[in-house]
Amino acid sequence: MKQNNMLAMILAGGRGSRLHELTKKVAKPAVSYGGKYRIIDFPLSNCANSGIDVVGVLTQYESVLLNSYVAAGRRWGLDAKDSGVYVLPPREKSDADLDVYRGTADAISQNIDFIDTYSPEYLLILSGDHIYKMNYAKMLAYHKECQSDATIAVIEVPMKEASRFGIMNTDETGRIVEFEEKPEHPKSNLASMGIYIFNWKTLRKMLLADMKDPDSSHDFGKDIIPTLLNEKKNVFAYKYKGYWKDVGTIDSLWEANMDLLNKNNGLDLNDPSWKIYTEDVTSLPQYIGSDAVIDRAFITQGCIVGGEVRNSVLFTDAKVASGAKVIDSVLMPGAEVAEGAVVTRALVAGGVKIGRNAVVGSADSENIELVAKRVKGDE
Amino acid sequence: MNKAFGIVNFAGNHIQVAGLQEYRPVGAFSFLGRYRIIDFPISNMSNSGIDNIQVYVRRKPRSLTEHLGTGRHYNINSKRGKLDIMYAEGGEVGNLYSTDISAYIENMDYIERMPQPYVVIVPSYMIYTTDYSKFIDAHAESGADISMMYHAVDNAKEAFLSCDTLNINKQKGVLSIEPNRGNAKNRNISMDTYVMTKELFLDLVNKAHKTSSMYTFADILDEECGELDVRAVSHRGFFAAITDFKSYYDANMALIDLKNAMNLFDDEWPVYTRTNDSCPTQYFADSKVTSSVVSNGCLIEGEVENSIIGRGCIIKPGAVVKNCVISTDVIIGKGVHVENMMVDKHSRLIRGKRIIASPEKPGYIKRGDTL
Repeated sequence: MKQNNMLAMILAGGRGSRLHELTKKVAKPAVSYGGKYRIIDFPLSNCANSGIDVVGVLTQYESVLLNSYVAAGRRWGLDAKDSGVYVLPPREKSDADLDVYRGTADAISQNIDFIDTYSPEYLLILSGDHIYKMNYAKMLAYHKECQSDATIAVIEVPMKEASRFGIMNTDETGRIVEFEEKPEHPKSNLASMGIYIFNWKTLRKMLLADMKDPDSSHDFGKDIIPTLLNEKKNVFAYKYKGYWKDVGTIDSLWEANMDLLNKNNGLDLNDPSWKIYTEDVTSLPQYIGSDAVIDRAFITQGCIVGGEVRNSVLFTDAKVASGAKVIDSVLMPGAEVAEGAVVTRALVAGGVKIGRNAVVGSADSENIELVAKRVKGDE
Repeated sequence: MNKAFGIVNFAGNHIQVAGLQEYRPVGAFSFLGRYRIIDFPISNMSNSGIDNIQVYVRRKPRSLTEHLGTGRHYNINSKRGKLDIMYAEGGEVGNLYSTDISAYIENMDYIERMPQPYVVIVPSYMIYTTDYSKFIDAHAESGADISMMYHAVDNAKEAFLSCDTLNINKQKGVLSIEPNRGNAKNRNISMDTYVMTKELFLDLVNKAHKTSSMYTFADILDEECGELDVRAVSHRGFFAAITDFKSYYDANMALIDLKNAMNLFDDEWPVYTRTNDSCPTQYFADSKVTSSVVSNGCLIEGEVENSIIGRGCIIKPGAVVKNCVISTDVIIGKGVHVENMMVDKHSRLIRGKRIIASPEKPGYIKRGDTL
């Protein structure tokens, strides 16, 4: 807390239902990504690297795994004195009944008591399901420089895709004059990244009012930001440049993994000055067999490669037997491809086994095939 | 409740590893890319429920203390458990007076204060996995004074030459302990791994100290095994002793074979190490990697064959790495061919185009060297 007087709250309650079986048992922020990570490692590591000491993680949907995962704040170095990661699922309070979080803003409102114990000057709101690296300390410096009441991180998206996003229209100083959620005819291409810095006192007042408003959907994008703009508060856009991905679908999750195969992918997970921290596993180093063929791949600890791996990402403990082929695919933790099996343009979920000589996915499929159940081979 | 505390002994004066040992004690040597040798004894102890561990060090302790830290990554109970680094102040490698006995004498009050009735003493220059809790239980049940582990080998003529061998009778009683003189193929190599009561251990240390200021623990044990009931316990599985440069290189190379590795590692018996938070390794389009063990955080554009690659290494396009043990953070430059080499940490092989040693006598590139 003492470092910069900013507390972070990560919204990690999303279900991510378009990820189908991958989010059947875990919330979207806990979905595996990039060989050894979970998506929430990114905002948590960004916080740790930005000098933020206290992080609240707002969980709701299938939160057991996520709760225990983020509670180990030591992984991200968030375990010093006056530092920590706090899991905040909805809870029953003396003056209110147990209720789910009704919206993103409500999740914060229901934890005003938690935030008040730290009495921060600034509150950083993050989403738990985006992949990017960002120095929030720089964004805070910009927030102070602009004397903002709220600062919203934005990223330039291609104009033709702008109607899929929440678009910020700014004046020449960078001040936001208008916010349009998924506009049919966008006026700008500055998309909101769902990253906000608020002056806590201002936001606190607004949240208390919002809680009582029966017409509100208690959402930052739909309610809080529009109210701020209506009240002519100082709201500035902070332009972010770099890799940013919201992995909402199987195709986009696959794509985000494939991005790692490019030498200059913009995410640069190898940068020693901005490491992404994650769970430490005790698996062996990678074992590459005598007949292995590896051509563009991102492979991690515990993998055993006997066969062919092309344009693919192999997660912790994934195994490719000799004579097997994995092409343009993602093998999640512990996935196994047996001898002679061929996996093409597929995303194989964690622990799933592809049997001997089985064929999964195809090179000319429109969509990536999600393999979430064991595929029997000819054994 | 654990019955024993652990002592991880330093490598004695009979162990001399050219090159590597100039920078750090044997326990801190990088092993199989990802590990350091000391990870094996400490993980064995941690997995066996021993969570009061004393690690003895002599010269150049920096890399070892850095690696061990608080010991938290070894999954030692962080409140009740403890990992202590014990300095032998006069300790100097090669100094005949700097023995394990002199280190124990120096730290006598700490050993006396340990509350556990038994002590397990293990070396920091050997690589094996075993369950010490079974070792302790069998010892307690046997009624013997001391139990010690050995590994039966059939290549004692050319390997394990700096190790001790055990002469054992049919009842597994140890008759004598003597150096391996390389005159027989089949030998019982001492694993320098003992269990006994703390009282007996202290008695032996004091006795050794009084007898000769150059005595080691193995010396006093050899002298006493006529009087005491010393039992030999056989170990099966992968076993390597790092006694010189060649044995270090060979132990690494042996584990490239997954079958050997499966004899050492077990999912139920994790070997812990300090995390470096490296990202996965990236294999580029023109890379060619076969029969190798690769750590995380590497960028591979060249060719790697029958080698071990440490964390965060860069193998540039056109480079060839063959039969090598590459430590952490090494760069093999464009078109550089390295063969039969051990390349120490932070080295940069940029200009030398062909760096090849003979397979019988692998070469060594110094830590932080630029070629």
